Amino acid sequence: MALSIDPISLEVFRNAFESAADQMALILMRTAHSPIVRDAMDFSTAICDAAGQNLAQGLTTPMHLGSFFDAMRHLIRQYEGRIGAGDVFIANDPYLASGQHLPDIYVVRPVFDGARLCAWAATIAHHVDVGGLVPGSNSLAAVEIHQEGLRLPFVKLAEGGVLNAIVLDIVAANVRVPDQVLGDLHAQMAACLAGEREMRQLFERYGADTVMTYGDALQDYSERLARAAIAKIPDGTYRFSDHIDGLGENPQPIRFEVQLIVRGDELTVDWTGTSPQVKGGINAPLSFCKSNVYAALRCVMPLDVPNCHGYTRPIHVIAPEASVLNARYPAPCGARGITGYRIVDCLFGALAQAVPDAVAADGAGGSTLPSFSGWHGGKRFVFSECIMGTWGATSRHDGQEGVPHMASNQANVPVEMIECDYPIRIERYGFAADSGGAGRYRGGLGVVREYRMLADDVYFGVRSDKALHAPHGLFGGAEGAVAVNLIRSAAGDRTLPPMPMLPITLSRGEVYRHVMAGGGGFGDALEREPESVRADVLDGKVSLERARSLYGVVLDEETRVNTAATQAARAGLRGASPAGPAGLAS
Amino acid sequence: MAAILRVAADVGGTFTDIACLSPAGELWTCKVPSTPDDYARAVIEGIQLLTRNLGVDPADYAEVSHASTVATNTILEGKGARTALVTTAGFRDVLELRRIRVPRLYEPLYEKPAPLVPRRHRYEVTERLDASGAVVHPLDEDQVRKLASTLAQAQVEAVAVSLLHSYVNPAHERRIAEMLKAALPGCFVTVSSEVLPEIREYERTSTTVVSAYVGPVVTRYLRSLQQRLAAGGIDARLVMMQSSGGTIDVRQVIERPAIVVESGPAAGVIGAARLGARAGHESIITFDMGGTTAKASLIDRGEVSSTDEYEVGGGISMSGGLAKGGGYALKLPVIDVSEVGAGGGSIVRIDAGNALKVGPDSAGAVPGPACYARGGTQATVTDANVVLGYLNPHGLAGGTVPIDAALARAAIQTIATRLGLELMETAHGIHRLANAAMTRAVKAVSTYRGRDPRDFSLFAFGGNGGIHAASLADDLQIRQVLVPAAAGVFSAVGLLCADREALRSAAFLRPLDAASVGQARARCALLERQARADLGDSESPVVRWRAALRYAGQGFELAIELPQVIAGDTDPVEDLSAAFELEYRRTYGHELVGHRLEFVALRVFAAVPPPGAIAAMRMRPAQPHGPRDAVRKAYFGATHGLLDTPVIGRDELDATPRRGPLIIEEYEGTTVVPPQATACRDVFGNIVVALDGGRLHGA
Repeated sequence: MALSIDPISLEVFRNAFESAADQMALILMRTAHSPIVRDAMDFSTAICDAAGQNLAQGLTTPMHLGSFFDAMRHLIRQYEGRIGAGDVFIANDPYLASGQHLPDIYVVRPVFDGARLCAWAATIAHHVDVGGLVPGSNSLAAVEIHQEGLRLPFVKLAEGGVLNAIVLDIVAANVRVPDQVLGDLHAQMAACLAGEREMRQLFERYGADTVMTYGDALQDYSERLARAAIAKIPDGTYRFSDHIDGLGENPQPIRFEVQLIVRGDELTVDWTGTSPQVKGGINAPLSFCKSNVYAALRCVMPLDVPNCHGYTRPIHVIAPEASVLNARYPAPCGARGITGYRIVDCLFGALAQAVPDAVAADGAGGSTLPSFSGWHGGKRFVFSECIMGTWGATSRHDGQEGVPHMASNQANVPVEMIECDYPIRIERYGFAADSGGAGRYRGGLGVVREYRMLADDVYFGVRSDKALHAPHGLFGGAEGAVAVNLIRSAAGDRTLPPMPMLPITLSRGEVYRHVMAGGGGFGDALEREPESVRADVLDGKVSLERARSLYGVVLDEETRVNTAATQAARAGLRGASPAGPAGLAS
Repeated sequence: MAAILRVAADVGGTFTDIACLSPAGELWTCKVPSTPDDYARAVIEGIQLLTRNLGVDPADYAEVSHASTVATNTILEGKGARTALVTTAGFRDVLELRRIRVPRLYEPLYEKPAPLVPRRHRYEVTERLDASGAVVHPLDEDQVRKLASTLAQAQVEAVAVSLLHSYVNPAHERRIAEMLKAALPGCFVTVSSEVLPEIREYERTSTTVVSAYVGPVVTRYLRSLQQRLAAGGIDARLVMMQSSGGTIDVRQVIERPAIVVESGPAAGVIGAARLGARAGHESIITFDMGGTTAKASLIDRGEVSSTDEYEVGGGISMSGGLAKGGGYALKLPVIDVSEVGAGGGSIVRIDAGNALKVGPDSAGAVPGPACYARGGTQATVTDANVVLGYLNPHGLAGGTVPIDAALARAAIQTIATRLGLELMETAHGIHRLANAAMTRAVKAVSTYRGRDPRDFSLFAFGGNGGIHAASLADDLQIRQVLVPAAAGVFSAVGLLCADREALRSAAFLRPLDAASVGQARARCALLERQARADLGDSESPVVRWRAALRYAGQGFELAIELPQVIAGDTDPVEDLSAAFELEYRRTYGHELVGHRLEFVALRVFAAVPPPGAIAAMRMRPAQPHGPRDAVRKAYFGATHGLLDTPVIGRDELDATPRRGPLIIEEYEGTTVVPPQATACRDVFGNIVVALDGGRLHGA
C-alpha cells in the first residue's frame, strides 16, 4: 500500500514510539530488584521494527545504543518461522547471540498484528551475577568465556504466553543471587509486556501498515539528520591513540588506535592498529564496539536526532578480527565495559581535532568497579557498584564533577543503603583537591571513595584504569591526576594495580581507598581568570601553592587576588615554559 | 458582620489570580499583574480590588488562602539565603556529587546546576552513626563551637544540618542545631531528621538544603503578607497551599518552608478533584495548558496522585523519574504533575531532517505569538489556532488582548511553504503536534502507572486548555471533557476547594509481619498526634494512615492504606499484602506471587475540609466578552475541512447537548467543540464535551 509520508504524522509516531520505550524503562526500573538495575539504571529498553532495527530507545544507558540490532538480527535469523505471539526470548552470549557480555541479558518480545510480526519490545539489563569465576561475573582473570558464567543462546523464556519455568530454574541454579536475577528478569518481562501493549494500541488505531510505514520513514529521517550532521564535520582523517593501563600485577598497556575518516556525509571509524584480544575479561565483541562508536558519534550530532537505527547507516566501523574490539571465541569479555569507555574516549580525542568546540578533554575514563563478597550473619553477600566521577574541561567551561562517563548514565548507590545491607562502612565520598588538570578551563576533580570492612574474609576485586595513563588535556590544558588504588591496614598502605588478577582478601578494619583520575584541562592555565582560580582556592578545589605554581595566581592573606604579583608570576611562568603541554600532538 | 468570606490568591510569575467565595457559594474572580519585587503587594491589591467591586468590608474575610511560586522562583533565580551545610566528616561533597546521573544524554557540553551551597560553605564535623543508629564516633562538640564562630564570620543566614543515618537517630543533628541556634540568633537552622527523616543521604541533604535556602525568603514574604493584610484591616486566618495539595497555617510554613515549593500546580489539581467529583466525575486527568507548558495529573477514583521523586528548578519535569539530575532533589510529597513544553506560545520550527517541531522554546509574553503584533514573527501554537479559526481573530480576553489574524497567517504560511503543504493543513498539523507532546504528558501520569486514560474524563483549564482539550481527548480516546467556569483563574478557585491538611511522615524499614504492623500502627498514632498539633485547633480532622510498601529487594514502593482500626477477625498482614498485590498488578501489569513485602515509610494525613460552600459554588457574574461573530469558519482536519462554526457564550449552552462544530468563547478562554462531538452545560456551569466513537483526525 503506497502511503505518502507527512512530516506531522511522522512526528506523532516518533512521539508514540519514544513514549513506549520510556514507559518500558520506567516499569523496568521500578520493578527491578538489584541495585545495579534499580538504582544504577544499567539497562536499556527499545521498540524495534519487524526487522529488529530500533525505532526508539529509552533514556537510560548510552553504551547500549545500537546494541539491539545485532542481537535482534541474530534472533530473527535463528527463529525465522518459529516466532509466535506471546513468545518471550532470552539470551546473553556474545558469540551465540551477538550479545554484549554475559551479565547483559536480553529479554525481548515480538509484537503481532493478527498473524503478522510487526515489531519487537526489547530490553537489555546488566544482571548482578551470572555465575563464573567471581561474584558479579566480571572476572579480569578469565581466559575464556566458559569461565564467565551461564551462556544463553536465544531460547524461549515463554512460548505462546506460557512461561518456560525450566529456563528460569536453569538460570537460578547458575547464579549466586537468584532472587535478584529472577526479580530483574521479571521486571524485563513486565517492561516488554507494556511495550507490546503500547504498540498494539497503535496498530489498532492506525493500522499496522501505516505504523510500519512511518517506522521506516523514521529510520530514513534519522539517517538524513545524521548525514546532515556528518556533512558539517570538515572532511579529513583524524587519528588518535589511547590506552588501557593493562591487566594484572604487571600491567602492559593495551593500545587503542583510531582513524576517523570523514568524507562528505559518511564517516568511517577504523580501529586498525588496536591491540589484539587479551587473556583477560576485557575484550569487546564487535557489537559492543559498534554501539560505543555510535554513542560517541551521537554526542556530536544535534540533540533531536531520534535514537533509532537509521542514524547508524552512514557510519562504518572497521575493527580488526581477534582484536580487543572484535573478540573471537572463546575470548572472555565479562569486564569489557572499560573497553567501551576507552572507545568513546579515544574517539573524542579524534573528534577534538575535527570539531574542537563540541567535545571535552579526557575525563576519569569510565566507572571504577569494586566488588566485595563474603558471608555476613550467616548469609552470603555480593556487593559491587560503579564509582563515577569527572569530565575534562571544554572550550566553554570547567570539567563537570560528579557525573557519569558519557557512555553510561548511571547513578551511584547511597552510602546509607550500602551500610544498611552490607558489612561495609563508607568513610569518605568526595572530591580530591588539586586533581583536575590545569587550564584556562580546569578539568574536573577526581572522586575519592573509602570502604572499611566490617567483616573478615571479604573477597575483593576491582576494575579501574587511568592509574598509569593520565587523562589528556586539550589545546594546552594539563593532564588530570592519575587514579589510585590503596589498601590501608594496621600494617601500612599497599598500592594495588589498576586491574589486579590475583585474589585479594580483606580483613575486618581494612580500608579500600579509591581515587579516580581527574579530568584534563582545556587551554593555557595562565589565561585562566584569576577570580576563577581564587574561587577554586576558596572552595578547596585548588591549593594556594598550585594556584601560584600552575596558574601564576597570587592571593593575599585575605584570599584576594594580588594583581601585580599575579602578573609577575605569570610572566615568569611563561618564560619558564615556552610551549605548554601539546594537547593535541598527533 | 461576622467574617464569612474566603478569599484565595494564586501568585504566578505574570499574574496574580484572585477568587472569593461566599457562604452561599457565590464565586467572584479577578486578575491583577504580579509584583515580583514583593509578591505580597499584588495579593493585597487584588483582594482590595475585589473588596471594592463587591462592596464588602475587609473584616468580612474569614480566611485568606494563597499559593505562590515564591520558593520556586527563589531557586530558579538563585536568590536564596546565604546558606551553609553541616555534614558528617568525609561527606561534604554529597550535595554536589548528587546521584551522578545527568538528565541529558550525548551532551559533552552539559553543565550541572551549581549546588545551592558552594563548597566553601559546606562544613564537616566529627561524628558517626551506623545504620542502626548506634554511635560509632561521638559528636565533637568543640568542633561545633568553633564552627559556630566560623559561620558567624561568614555571615550565613541559614544552616542546613544533614548527618549520615540521622533518620534513625537524630540526636547528633539536634545537638548541633541546639548549639548553632544558641550561638547564631536570627539564623534559620534546619535539620534533615525533621525535614525528611528518610534514608538516602543525597535526597535528604538536598531537601534540607532547599528548605534552608528558601526559608528566610519565604519567611520574609509571609511576614510582609501578614503585615499588609493587617494594615488593610483583614484579620483573617492566613493559610498557604502545600505541594502535597492541602493548605496549612503559615506558621507551619515558616518552620518547614520546603513544603510549599510546588504550591501553584497543586491548587488546580485539587480544584479539579473537588469540582470534578461534584459533577459526578471521580476519575479525572487534569489538563492545564498555559502559554509555555502543558501539565497533566491523574485523579484516580477521587484520589490525587502524589510523588516524592521531585526536583525543583529542573525545567520541564516529565513525570516518571527517568530524566533526573537537572534540578534540586526535593523528596517531599508533591502532587504528581507531568509537564511538557507545549503551550500557546510554543514556537514552531522545521529541523534539518525537514520535520516539523513544536516547542519547547516559547515566545513567552514578550514578544508573544506573531498574532499579538508585539514584534514576534515566529509561528506559535496560538497562531495556528487563530488560522484554524479556533481563536477569535480580533481579540482575546474580552478584547483586552488584540489579535492580528493576518500576522498569524503570514507566520504559518512561511512554515507551510517550506514544507510544501497547504496553510490550513499546516496549522492543523501544528495543533496536532502540540497534542502529540501533551499526549506524552498525559501518558506519563496514566499508562506509565498502569492507568488507562480511556477510564478517565479530561478536566481542562488554563488559558489554552479548552482549545486543545477535545482534540487531545480524541487522540487518547477519552470520551468526556469538562471545562469548568473560571478556567483561566482556576488555580485560585482550586485553593478555595482545598482541605486544610497536615502531613507527617517517618522512615520505617521493616519486613511486613504481625509485629511490624503493630509497630507501624503505634508509630502512626504518634505521627497523628504531631499532625493534629500542626493543624493547631480544636476542629476534629479526618485522619488517614498510609504505608509505603514494596516487595523485599525492590527500590520503589507503593502507598497502601493502613487501617486505623482492625476488626477482630481479620489478619492485617494478609489484608495489606492483598491490597499491595492488587495495586502492584494494576500499576505494572504483573505480580510476584508469594514474594515477601516490606515497609519503607509511614505517612499520616490529618485534614479539615473547607466549610460547606463548595457544593454550591457558582460563578457570578459572567465576565463581559468582547466583540464576536455569530459564525466563524473553522478547520477540523482533512476529513471535515473548513466548517461554518457557531460562536456562543457559556450561558447560551444548557443541559441539552448541542452538536459540534461549536466554539464557546468567554473572557476566561475558548472551548472548541469539534464536529461529531456534543457540548452541554451541567448544573454547576461546567461545559461538558462528549466525544462519540468517530475519529476526528486521520493519521
